[in-house]
Amino acid sequence: MVQLYNDYKDHADFLTVYVREAHPTDEWQMKSNVKEDVCYAQPKTLAQRVEIANDFVKRFKYPVPFGIDDMSNAANDAYAAWPERIYIIDNGRIAYRGGMGPFDYKPEEARAWLAGRYGEVKHAATEAPKATGGS
Amino acid sequence: MKKFFKWAGILLGGLTVVAFAGLSYLAGGPKDAVYMVRYALPHMHRGHLKVGDEAPDAKLLALDGQRHFHIRERTGARPLVIIFGSYT
Repeated sequence: MVQLYNDYKDHADFLTVYVREAHPTDEWQMKSNVKEDVCYAQPKTLAQRVEIANDFVKRFKYPVPFGIDDMSNAANDAYAAWPERIYIIDNGRIAYRGGMGPFDYKPEEARAWLAGRYGEVKHAATEAPKATGGS
Repeated sequence: MKKFFKWAGILLGGLTVVAFAGLSYLAGGPKDAVYMVRYALPHMHRGHLKVGDEAPDAKLLALDGQRHFHIRERTGARPLVIIFGSYT
């Protein structure tokens, strides 16, 4: 997603919305979370969500603009976002609605939408660093 | 009649085993399958939004933990790509 943001930030706006945790330690923690040292309990307060969101941004030097869903999960519920999903809004309407993650979470579809509007951005084939956690 | 219930029970049991095996494969193991049903399924829903629908608004908090803003404030002349997710 960072690559997508870097490629199209001159044409489109981006917003990452942090929602309830998918694999917290007190619910369905995955082995990969332990291996990658991404171990957090499900936040019970907004302050805890803010803390985790900031940890994420700092660890990955995440440049994409960020917003945090409040504890009523209003954004999550409105967009059926959990655990992860991508939307594109154009002229106030849904222009692209991504599938529900993890299996149907396809950033390449969002890229295709943006490429259809603004042209494709190609990159030389390089070994990408392994991205961990979050979106 | 007893035979019917017996075979219905066997069929149902077999289907349950197959379903659990499939879910275990999907989730990464039997324990993960249980956790998936318990913690993930209640929060997973397809939602009702379709392409062309008016984009819902919601109030969000900025990373500083102080300022609030609405999704609608970020929509304008340019498309807005919204990426929903979490850290874990």
